[in-house]
Amino acid sequence: MRITNSMLINNMIGYINNNLGRMEKYQYQYATGKKIQVPSDDPVVAARALKLRTDVSEVEQYQRNVDDATSWLELTEDALASIGNILQRARELAVDAANSGVKTPDDLKKIAEEIKQLKSQIVHIGNTTYSGRYIFSGYKTDKKLLNDDGTFAIDVDTGRESIYYEIGIGDDINVNVLGGDLFNDGGDATAGSTGRLIADFDKYIAALESGDFDTVRSMINVLDDDMDTVLRVRADVGARINRLELTSNRLVSDNLNFNKLMSLNEDVDLAEIAIKIKNEENVYRASLAIGARIIMTSLVDFIS
Amino acid sequence: MRGSFFGLNIALTGLYTAQRNLNIVNHNISNANTEGFSRQYAVQSAATPIPMYDGTGMVGTGSEVTGVKRMRDEYLDYKYWSENRTYGEWSVKEELLAELEATFNEPSKSGFTFIFGEFYDALQELSKDPGNQSIKALVRQQGITVAKYFNSLASHFEKLQADVNQRVQIKVDEINSLASQIQELNRQIYISELDGNTANDLRDRRTLLVDKLSQIVNIETNEIVVGKLPNGEDATHFSITISGHTLVDHFTVNKLVVKQRDDSSKLNEEDIPNLYDIYWQDGNSAIIRGGELRGYLDVRDGNDGKVGINGSSASPSYKGIPYYIRKLNEFVRVFAKAFNEGEIVNGDGTVTKLLGHADGYRADSGAGDTTPAGIRFFTMIGNDGNPMSSKDFLSLGGSDIYENITAKHFSVSLDIMEDFNAICTSGAPGELENKDILDSILKMRHNTHMFSEGAPEDFIKSLVTTLGIDSQQAIRYSDIQHTIVSQIESRRMAVSGVSIDEEVTNLVKFQHSYNAAARMITTLAEIYNTLINKMGV
Repeated sequence: MRITNSMLINNMIGYINNNLGRMEKYQYQYATGKKIQVPSDDPVVAARALKLRTDVSEVEQYQRNVDDATSWLELTEDALASIGNILQRARELAVDAANSGVKTPDDLKKIAEEIKQLKSQIVHIGNTTYSGRYIFSGYKTDKKLLNDDGTFAIDVDTGRESIYYEIGIGDDINVNVLGGDLFNDGGDATAGSTGRLIADFDKYIAALESGDFDTVRSMINVLDDDMDTVLRVRADVGARINRLELTSNRLVSDNLNFNKLMSLNEDVDLAEIAIKIKNEENVYRASLAIGARIIMTSLVDFIS
Repeated sequence: MRGSFFGLNIALTGLYTAQRNLNIVNHNISNANTEGFSRQYAVQSAATPIPMYDGTGMVGTGSEVTGVKRMRDEYLDYKYWSENRTYGEWSVKEELLAELEATFNEPSKSGFTFIFGEFYDALQELSKDPGNQSIKALVRQQGITVAKYFNSLASHFEKLQADVNQRVQIKVDEINSLASQIQELNRQIYISELDGNTANDLRDRRTLLVDKLSQIVNIETNEIVVGKLPNGEDATHFSITISGHTLVDHFTVNKLVVKQRDDSSKLNEEDIPNLYDIYWQDGNSAIIRGGELRGYLDVRDGNDGKVGINGSSASPSYKGIPYYIRKLNEFVRVFAKAFNEGEIVNGDGTVTKLLGHADGYRADSGAGDTTPAGIRFFTMIGNDGNPMSSKDFLSLGGSDIYENITAKHFSVSLDIMEDFNAICTSGAPGELENKDILDSILKMRHNTHMFSEGAPEDFIKSLVTTLGIDSQQAIRYSDIQHTIVSQIESRRMAVSGVSIDEEVTNLVKFQHSYNAAARMITTLAEIYNTLINKMGV
């Protein structure tokens, strides 16, 4: 084939442009650490990158949800522990008061004062708040569960008003303990009525005040039953916290995995790119050098 | 022949021939870098010899140049034209799709995936504390960001469509201008060649113009033989047609004109008004099958072959700007409908009714409220430029009010803009922590029945990937065509290009023959000197 000067020049421009194009791509990859700039660089990588970004952001959100659920449940557990302690104390006092031979009705009245204190403490715990929200009030977290006299201030439907936090796709956890479940032995809370726990205390106080030793003695078993209720709820809360811990661990490893996948998918191997750039640079320099020498000369230079 | 001065004539033809050749070398060197130039060469032959009638043979009468020709392989020109049109089409698509891709801006921290994720994160936070005012404010803000993302995307696309439309007009003007120039050159070439010459430089210029035209639009060229010239050569008429309709025929030219579509003749529902259609001057509609113009039209009108709103003409079966606007509109319509009403239209056309925002009760509702607040979270920007309230939106009418929403006018409703307490999370009145509505909305993120492509994020992901693949295809085709065109160009240059080395060699060659011819004259002069001045004296 016949080769002309403008062919050489056009080809040289073309080759150098190709070199620069590749250098530009590597420069982008090196500067950003990413394989792709726009989806057309590699649509498959782009599609996976979008998916993984969503996955990572979701996992991070679920981690925050798990943390919040945990702190809500831990607060609930503290409240339940306190109620347990109160019941324990009330039971000790009942055992003590039941000694009809030793205690006088006056003694019982003094004990009644302490039990009243314990009852109001339970009412207080029943209105525990978590960042301003009443945790035992079901859906009505803006309203107190119990009135000062221990009657329910609101209706709480135990079958319905559980609050769930999403801690995974299609996975959620109940974070609240319903007032009726705890204070009315698994039943509903009805505004104006008195739950079983409080009613037991009222009965206890009345017995103490009237010096009814038999009833006081019977309270030991009643309080045992009440403690069982609290223990049942506590066990449930404990199991939920336990589940949250497991979920949290899983989410941490999910997060790590997704980030690793994301990195594998779209991050470049810097060492590899560095070598490629070096290689391209050599090619570029060589093509400049050789191009410059070739286009400079023609027969004119040798004819005088 | 024993004519005394005949030798001088022979030497003279030698000088003339050498000089003519030197001029051609000179011309070639001058045009070494002229675009489209083909190197020329002299057709040189021995002049007609004179027979000697005494049986001593024929006497040569020197040399003569009978013509100047250009080195050109016209087959390569035809090849160049047919490949160049495909290159034109794909290079335009490459450029425009890159622009669309940049608008989507994925993957990044400002693309849809990120913004949508932030919106859903805010909803998640709200689900953990539905009464919290500051989180409601955040949800509203993120909702506005999602809406604005679509507004800006759609505006960008419309802007791009207007730009492309402008370029269609520019290209049509270019075609007309090239056609007029070619027609003028046809005249000059025809007249110049009447006496049997070849109009080399004019033909080069015409070929160059056709080169340019071939990139813009699909053309077929023909040199039709119409008769014989006085010298026996064919008389030809040069013509160019676009999809069978004549653009240039010898001395006549048919121009293209653009006409604005009015509202009634819009092709796609998504189109901006007053796009151009291309017609011939004689009123026929112009069919454009290739070249840059086809690229512009495909991207401007391409709606994946969907039949236009006039019901008869189909849009180009290419995924252009209207396609992406249509998909964005589809997204906001379906998503807003699901979000607001909880209605998911399944593949078989049945509707699954879930809880939507409109089924919710306001956080400040009393226990006695028996009907939901009916607030639509997403509505659209009304004609007054402000977001519409749920009430105004519902009174819009139409078989499906959500068909009124477009990506450009997608918006958070006025109710929520004015008061973020209008964000309804509860499925029952007076229950602060009830978040049935919110839970249902949160689950929609993974509802794979919402779109035929899957969940909301899958939809956009598939859209971005489609664009990525189309764009990659355009880049590849454009690269391949560029290589093919360059290769043909290279072959053309191999035939027609000026080689300085060759020309300088010829320069030396013709200089030598000039010198030798001149030397001949000196020698003859000496002979005459001897003959005239010294003989017999």
